[in-house]
Amino acid sequence: MSQSQSQNLPEVESLSYLHNGERDEACTAGGELRDHWQYLLSSLRDLGPAGLDERTQKIGRILRDDGASYNVAGGAAEWGLDPVPLLLQAAEWQAVEQGLIERAQLLDLVLKDIYGSQDIIRKGLVPPEVIYSHPGFIRACHHTRLPGQHQLILHAADLVRAADNRWMVLGDRTQAPSGSGYALENRIVMQRVFPMVFRNSRVLRMRQFFNNLRLQMQRLAPPDNMQNGEPPRVVILTPGAYSETFFEHACLANYLGYPLVQGKDLTVRRGYVWMKTLDGLTRVDVIVRRVDDHYCDPVELRGDSQLGVPGLLEVVRAGQVVLANPLGSGILESGALMKYLPAISQYFFGHPLSLPSAPTYWCGDPDDRNYVLQNLERLRIEHTHRQSDSSAVCGVNLSAEQRLQLVQKIQAQPLHYVAQDYVQPSQGPCWRNRALQARPLALRAFTVATEASYLVMPGGLARAAAEAGDLLISNQLGATSKDTWVLSGEAAETEAFSAAAIAEPYARVVDIGLPSRVAENLFWVGRYAKRSDMALRLLRTVFVQLNGAHMLPLEAERQLLFAVTQVTMTYPGFTEAGENLFNNPERELMSVVLDAERAGSITASLNAMLSSAAEVREMLSSDTQRVMNDIQDGVQQLEATLSTGMASAPEEALDPLVTAMFALAGLFQESMFRGVSWHFLQLGRCIEKAYQSATLMRSLLVPVTGEETEAICIESILQTSEALTIFRRRFRADTRLYNALAMLLLDRSNPRALLYQLELMRGYLGNLPGMNTNMPQISREQRAVTEAIASVQLARLDDLVTANTDNPIRGELDQLLVRVQELMNTMAVAISDRFFDHTDGPQQLVDNPWTMD
Amino acid sequence: MLYRIRHITHYQYAAAVSLAYNLAYLLPRNTEYQTCLDHQLTVFPRASKMQQRVDYFGNHSHSFSVEESHRELKVDISSTVRVADMRLIDMNLDLGNSWESALQMLQHRSDENTLKAREFALDSNAVRSSDDLRQYAQTSFSAGRPLLSAVRDLTHRIYTDFIYDPGFTTISTPLADVLSHRRGVCQDFAHLAIGCLRAMGFAARYISGYLETLPPPGQEKLVGSDASHAWFAVYSPGEGWFEFDPTNDNMPAQQHITTAWGRDYTDVAPLKGVIFEGGGTQNLSVSVDVQRLEG
Repeated sequence: MSQSQSQNLPEVESLSYLHNGERDEACTAGGELRDHWQYLLSSLRDLGPAGLDERTQKIGRILRDDGASYNVAGGAAEWGLDPVPLLLQAAEWQAVEQGLIERAQLLDLVLKDIYGSQDIIRKGLVPPEVIYSHPGFIRACHHTRLPGQHQLILHAADLVRAADNRWMVLGDRTQAPSGSGYALENRIVMQRVFPMVFRNSRVLRMRQFFNNLRLQMQRLAPPDNMQNGEPPRVVILTPGAYSETFFEHACLANYLGYPLVQGKDLTVRRGYVWMKTLDGLTRVDVIVRRVDDHYCDPVELRGDSQLGVPGLLEVVRAGQVVLANPLGSGILESGALMKYLPAISQYFFGHPLSLPSAPTYWCGDPDDRNYVLQNLERLRIEHTHRQSDSSAVCGVNLSAEQRLQLVQKIQAQPLHYVAQDYVQPSQGPCWRNRALQARPLALRAFTVATEASYLVMPGGLARAAAEAGDLLISNQLGATSKDTWVLSGEAAETEAFSAAAIAEPYARVVDIGLPSRVAENLFWVGRYAKRSDMALRLLRTVFVQLNGAHMLPLEAERQLLFAVTQVTMTYPGFTEAGENLFNNPERELMSVVLDAERAGSITASLNAMLSSAAEVREMLSSDTQRVMNDIQDGVQQLEATLSTGMASAPEEALDPLVTAMFALAGLFQESMFRGVSWHFLQLGRCIEKAYQSATLMRSLLVPVTGEETEAICIESILQTSEALTIFRRRFRADTRLYNALAMLLLDRSNPRALLYQLELMRGYLGNLPGMNTNMPQISREQRAVTEAIASVQLARLDDLVTANTDNPIRGELDQLLVRVQELMNTMAVAISDRFFDHTDGPQQLVDNPWTMD
Repeated sequence: MLYRIRHITHYQYAAAVSLAYNLAYLLPRNTEYQTCLDHQLTVFPRASKMQQRVDYFGNHSHSFSVEESHRELKVDISSTVRVADMRLIDMNLDLGNSWESALQMLQHRSDENTLKAREFALDSNAVRSSDDLRQYAQTSFSAGRPLLSAVRDLTHRIYTDFIYDPGFTTISTPLADVLSHRRGVCQDFAHLAIGCLRAMGFAARYISGYLETLPPPGQEKLVGSDASHAWFAVYSPGEGWFEFDPTNDNMPAQQHITTAWGRDYTDVAPLKGVIFEGGGTQNLSVSVDVQRLEG
């Protein structure tokens, strides 16, 4: 649709941009669209509101499939990305870029100085309290130095454009700057959703930034570690799946090709840091750290931290591992330091910073304090030490009471408060409520050290406030992110740029295996997946039988309800039930499905699977993530769909979950790389499957019952095992136990037969590290599976179907199944002992409750 | 004065510990008036890695790890220390700057020593100034009184107002409890004095070390009967740091041997660390022996 045509359509009018007179990225003061926005906005106009809505939904879908989230107190929030990017011109960006490089260089000098000679204090450039009162100043890091020229490796700055058109820095991120992974995700999504517009806009790429990041990590490797000529081993250290920005840790780990580790995956031995892998300990040379300073080493820093690696700081000091950013770099985030940066810049560079900070007042200075207390309404006030529970406030937003509280806090601890003149950010178009509306914008820009200087990511992570009148732009307050496109303007420039990127040496990434925790989590994903799956199928079968057209014999009904308790292990359940429960089994059945607090319930098992999967998000494909999302939705909807009562076919409520579990099994089978981790996942599934099949047979086939009940039990077990159709085709109406057992135990063409599972298991075992050797004696795991296979094969069906003479059970069958269950437990324990890490978390030698805040 | 000091720390665990990482401040540092001539540190079981260094405050620290399973940990350090009699014994505390002018100087002088001393006027892990502390201190700070005289008086008041009671506090008892119950041990009294001084705006630091104790007349001194000790120092701009011992109501001289100093106990804890598994009911025994070799 051409532009002239589209202008005739009424709905298109709503796609004109409603700017509101503030400094606007897309419009001049006179309301004219700026040149560099013409193409994008006309393309969006061509799409029309319906088209843009559809693209927005697509964005949401991709983000969800990628598992993009930002964890806030009380749960994960989905990551929001506005379909309208922020556009910047290359020429203008170049100036910002220069300013950011200069700023990073200055902060690098300050960092060296603070942990070295402290000239900025001794020469009176900075009051001592600015440094000494800040918790980010870590005395234990005094005199530690990274190899190479820089101490500050990664820097991020929060920028806004002020009314006078200049960009200004509101704050720096220097310990573990977050956001670059989200920027990357945003870019990947935008490229998929707007491929044409993106290509035609000639946007400067991010690739060089990340490639340089890899190269820099390689350069940082301790020289003494690097004597065997291997590339350095780099890991990303995350606080874990519950940290705010875990998604981006996983995203960066995948993009950069580094293992994602938690503190407990690492250990200090003989003066080095090692990763606990399935093959034993592997030395780690460089740690990209996303854990805050104080939590990194409980020996010397916060003693109660469970996120760090005890003894780490001593290895850092000896130069045998490198952390980026180095420990102690959090001091640079102090807002108080910002006040003195102009003087410090003058001292080190002989000129002021070209990219200024917003005017900053530090309450430790008596004059500043007075100014702040008298001008709260025009200031943005912040704690000097950024923490998750203390965010900036705008004086003008405060009630009289809040203002009084703030004044008291400042007066009690003036050293810990800073304020900035409120800078009105520029606005830009955002897609809100089916219209292009103006919202205040902020930009987080990212810088990484190179051999001799710094390199800036073109663009960065833009954020738009939720409402036009919002003074603060933060994720917690509902801001949405945006991709930032730096438009090169000319085709040639893009070419040259990418040519330069290609010519650059590529960092070598070495495969150093996985932390054993990852294998353990996958093993449990497998077990819980199968456990939930079996429970779902059984419950579905039981619902069908209970609500069937024919009245069930009482005996059969009880047999089925026993099986529910036994398979889900929700004892005592129906096993010790009185008449009342048998007459009204619904409540108990609902509880077995829905009660998340009850171990063994379907909901509890599915949640356990989901949380094991969340721990290893970086190992899962988008497709897998999508199915996991479906399962999560399914779990949440279960209660609503089931609560309508038994009458409305509860088995149908379980169908979507059964289907999703099918899809998951398919994905595990089809789309996962057959690495070691895959074998752990499959082993988990097989062990659980074999165990549960044995349980099910013990519940339904071991007791000797009346003929009708037996037929119902056989039908139910075959249905639960998805073998009923084929059984009927093969044996017609002949539902003899003999045939059923042949199919359930021995049939190699039935993937749900016990023997089939056991033989699969034996194959997987052979692929685990250290299992495929020609040792004279086989391992405990192999012994267990071999015995299980032999027992099943040696059993004679005629004996198995025979009932005991003294009590109404089939003793041979029961013995065989009990033995298989024991052997499966032996397997699981042996695998866990051999491969998984069983160290408890660190404890303090002397309990030390003091912490600085 | 020449001393031989032996300090043994012995942990016994109910269950075996698989890994231990420790940081020790046990070796006496060098100061203007004290030199550590030699030392020997042994760890049992043998440390896999042992590193000695000088920390931010100029103290000696040892980091070591034990990477084999163990049910006890023994850290045994001996050192020979020469203490000069430079610390003035007969100093007239009624001379010198008034506390008001000392406070002014602390805030406004730009000499390096004063700028760096301001670090010790700030709150630290275990010592935070408060109105209560300030109120307690105030009595000693009468108008125009020389700073050191006021601090000496504060030291004396802590000695008389507080009961030495090893059963009352642990290393984690908050200062506010010490103040309200008027009980504690040397470390609490040092923290208390530091808190009082910081509440008044002054820079004060914590000193850990040893005190030579003499047996009652006619008796043999018992080996291992000494203890580690703690006191504090205050900074007087232009004059330097001055030490006071509120537990003994004196100014440390030749019988006080300094191990380390910092903002409070947590900067210089004699032995801290992290252990994996085991642990459980620990039995800790500490034996200290300060022996005068010549003097």
